[in-house]
Amino acid sequence: MKKIEIEFIVNGKKRRIFVKPNDLLINIIRNDLYLTGSKYGCGIGECGACTVLLDGEPVLSCLTLAVTVNGKEITTIEGLAKGDELHPVQKAFLENGAVQCGFCTPGMILTATALLKENPNATENEIRDYMRGNLCRCTGYVQIVKAIKSCVAEQKSD
Amino acid sequence: MEKQQYEFIGKQFDIKNIGKVTGKELYSSDINIPGQLYAVVLCSPYPHAEIKKIDYTEAEKMGAICIGPDDVPDYLYNERIVSIPEKTYRDRTVLPKDKVRHIGEAIAACAAETEEEAFAALKKIKIEWGKKWKPLIDLDEAIKDDAPSIYDCVYLGEEKVDIKNNIACERNIDVGDIDKGFKEAEVVVERTFNTQRIYHMQLETKSAVCVPEADGGITVWTTSQGIHNVRILLGNIFNIPLNKVNVKRITLGGSFGSSIQMNSITPICVALALKAKRPVKLVSTREDDIYDHSKYPLKTILKIGAKKDGTLTAAHCRVWVEIGGHNIQAYPYLGCVAGWFASLYKWKNIKYEGTAVYTNKVPTCAMQGYGNPQINFAVESLMDILAEKLDIDPIELRLKNYVGKGDEFWGQGPTVRSIIRSCGVEEMLIEGAKLAEWEKRTPPSKKKGELRRGIGVARGFHTSGTGGPNPGEVIDYSGATIKINEDGSVDVLTALMDHGGGTWDAVAKVVAEVLKVPYEKVGIYNEVDTRTTVFDVNTHATRGVYCGCGAVKFVAEKVKEMLLNYAATLFKDLPENLKLACNKKLGQAVIYPREIPENYMTLGEIAEHAHITSWGAIAYTSTLRQKNCPPCFITHFVEVEVNTKTGEVKVPRAVIMGDSGTIINPDLWEGQIIGAFSRGLGFSLLEETKYDLNSGGLECNGLITDYKIPTTVEMPKVDNIIVRSAHTYEPTGPFGAKGIGEAALSSVGSAVANAIYNAIGIRFYDLPITPEKVLKALKRKEEEEKESRRRVGDKVD
Repeated sequence: MKKIEIEFIVNGKKRRIFVKPNDLLINIIRNDLYLTGSKYGCGIGECGACTVLLDGEPVLSCLTLAVTVNGKEITTIEGLAKGDELHPVQKAFLENGAVQCGFCTPGMILTATALLKENPNATENEIRDYMRGNLCRCTGYVQIVKAIKSCVAEQKSD
Repeated sequence: MEKQQYEFIGKQFDIKNIGKVTGKELYSSDINIPGQLYAVVLCSPYPHAEIKKIDYTEAEKMGAICIGPDDVPDYLYNERIVSIPEKTYRDRTVLPKDKVRHIGEAIAACAAETEEEAFAALKKIKIEWGKKWKPLIDLDEAIKDDAPSIYDCVYLGEEKVDIKNNIACERNIDVGDIDKGFKEAEVVVERTFNTQRIYHMQLETKSAVCVPEADGGITVWTTSQGIHNVRILLGNIFNIPLNKVNVKRITLGGSFGSSIQMNSITPICVALALKAKRPVKLVSTREDDIYDHSKYPLKTILKIGAKKDGTLTAAHCRVWVEIGGHNIQAYPYLGCVAGWFASLYKWKNIKYEGTAVYTNKVPTCAMQGYGNPQINFAVESLMDILAEKLDIDPIELRLKNYVGKGDEFWGQGPTVRSIIRSCGVEEMLIEGAKLAEWEKRTPPSKKKGELRRGIGVARGFHTSGTGGPNPGEVIDYSGATIKINEDGSVDVLTALMDHGGGTWDAVAKVVAEVLKVPYEKVGIYNEVDTRTTVFDVNTHATRGVYCGCGAVKFVAEKVKEMLLNYAATLFKDLPENLKLACNKKLGQAVIYPREIPENYMTLGEIAEHAHITSWGAIAYTSTLRQKNCPPCFITHFVEVEVNTKTGEVKVPRAVIMGDSGTIINPDLWEGQIIGAFSRGLGFSLLEETKYDLNSGGLECNGLITDYKIPTTVEMPKVDNIIVRSAHTYEPTGPFGAKGIGEAALSSVGSAVANAIYNAIGIRFYDLPITPEKVLKALKRKEEEEKESRRRVGDKVD
């Protein structure tokens, strides 16, 4: 299969690579760019562990063809902190016990940052609804929701 | 109760999880070795079929390295070597030599330069199948005389055992006089309960990377709850000296019991790497993973007898478990189920009969509780039924009969017996009832309308590890090396695994507490392996804190002794006259002569002195076997809301009381309890891996699109889930601590079922309680009520 050259920005850096038309973004990110923070959990878009931000929007990298990111900007979990300064959502996850095995955590954190960008004053029900596509088997979600709630600018009840 | 002030135990620190929020944490599937091949596995499409011939010539022509049954050793093993050898059943080889016994069983594997090429090669493998049998899916079918034999014989230790009627093993236990017990009873209740198979659904699928070394050895990264057992098994299977098998400890992406045993893909990866003479990486697909392991189901017929005042007199418990195509741990499972049942209440006279049966389904293994949630559902449902029959409050009946402080218990089965020294059962039932507003609970007859709420209670326990005064059937010890660096920082090398529940944080806190070293100066790094650590059996059986940290504390105290002895030479004083303390201002541990704190030396100075004077390293290595396995208790108060139109059950509120003695990691302790609650809701309301009776395949086809686990919205809201700790201190535990992990799940299903009964007056005996079952039961109840009204009407007429 003929490879196609694509150019995109990943975590603030421009990259040019050759990909096959059927290459999935998750494999490019994990195997070619060695950004292993994005996880394979199901390969069929059910678990959310492979979530990355594409031009700021959360996408499932296991369902995204690599060729489609040409000219776009990707943020993976590795690119969320500003140097040594953790993103507020990363901090909130640590402070609220929202991390156990950590395998769902990158996807959870990226989805949560997208949620907070879209809806900075999200209520608990809105958080629960937005996050329901990201599966976690360890925490039971409550501390994850609590962590995201702590990042909401203006606390409102549902 | 001993009350102590700790500097690190029970405090919260964030730094240990930083890799997990920044994407830096490495899991087995993140390991990449230059020159590695990618492996994929060919899984059986048939549930029970003879393999005549496997031909992978075409696949090899494509450049792939392939293995089939003839390429793996004949060595018969059990992937779980936690039990002692003479109690371990062995029925498998790396790839099956004669026939497959469940759909999804690995029969061959390919490794190639890319995963895509490996999959393409896999398609070229030709298999000639011999006789095919109809799958044995139901337990009752499997034990019939004319059912096909899944095994003719297996090994128990070194002894050959014939398998009849597909019965893998049996376990019968008698305590007291069961006939006398039931004669004394004034009320007897008996019911049959069924709990289903569910899938662990750990987020990380099972993975392995193997590097063949120049000296004939291997280095392996793999999903595992215990690296030393993987080392021993791989050495035995591939006949490699045990010092040449090096298994790396690496973070686990969830497990819940699914990696207590060495995973089936691990030796497949090794066999490929040895054949290819190159590193091989094998990451299971989710579909392969669902077909790899399952929680044990359980069928229980339970009969209990009691006096009118609620005093229990006898219990007869008969259980059956269908275990799938391999016997991983059915014998200890039956022993533990007996223990969970027998040590929950003072039955006085017990008869227990357990049978494990092979079927052509995915092999079953431990999943958070090892039979505990299964048998707890039967016991705690029947206790509620008994309470109603006796007209005694369910809490009062439990308080009257629970096994508590001073009582002998044998939670881990009949060979591991010890005395309970700490118990928060009474406090949890009484305080939990207040928080849950138990006194406002009304009977089902008072509930009206479309949405009906009910409150249920259930209690459970799990052992902290498997230790007893005498070693039993289970191997249980842990170890560590602790060394002080020249700047006063500390390294802890232990094979102890962390599932994400905070075991490593607990290790660091225990070491910090003993050595008075600031928490952030205690390093428990991932770059350890079987070569650099001493044995640790496994992080299973809720033993991480009690046994693992117990050993760590033991070693840390030895280091403290060395340190004080050396400091004594510097202070020209006796070690007992010196005090070790944490000086937070300096960010160092300090030692000073008692009463003269200003004459301190920092640990850094002392260690540096030991270094430059060539005194030697301040370090110690040892192992410890805990001689007890204290029960950690749990009590669940659950409120449900049953939608009588849709059959859906929601859980708006829960009060969960836990007894773990001293709590080392408060946030993760609570997190484990809430996480278990979520998995418990999946177990009680949603999940089941159903099989197609004809094909023997999973109805979900291995896709999690059709295997739903709880999400954010199934959980109560943040303020509506109340978790509280009992005020207890376990005298045999490190700083008074016991476990929590598996206890946290044991009574969720039972409390949910009891709450549903309180809401709609219908008792469910089979899990999961799905909307379909609820609607069907409501309809039946309505018809029965109509019928009885009609009969009453007839009489009036």
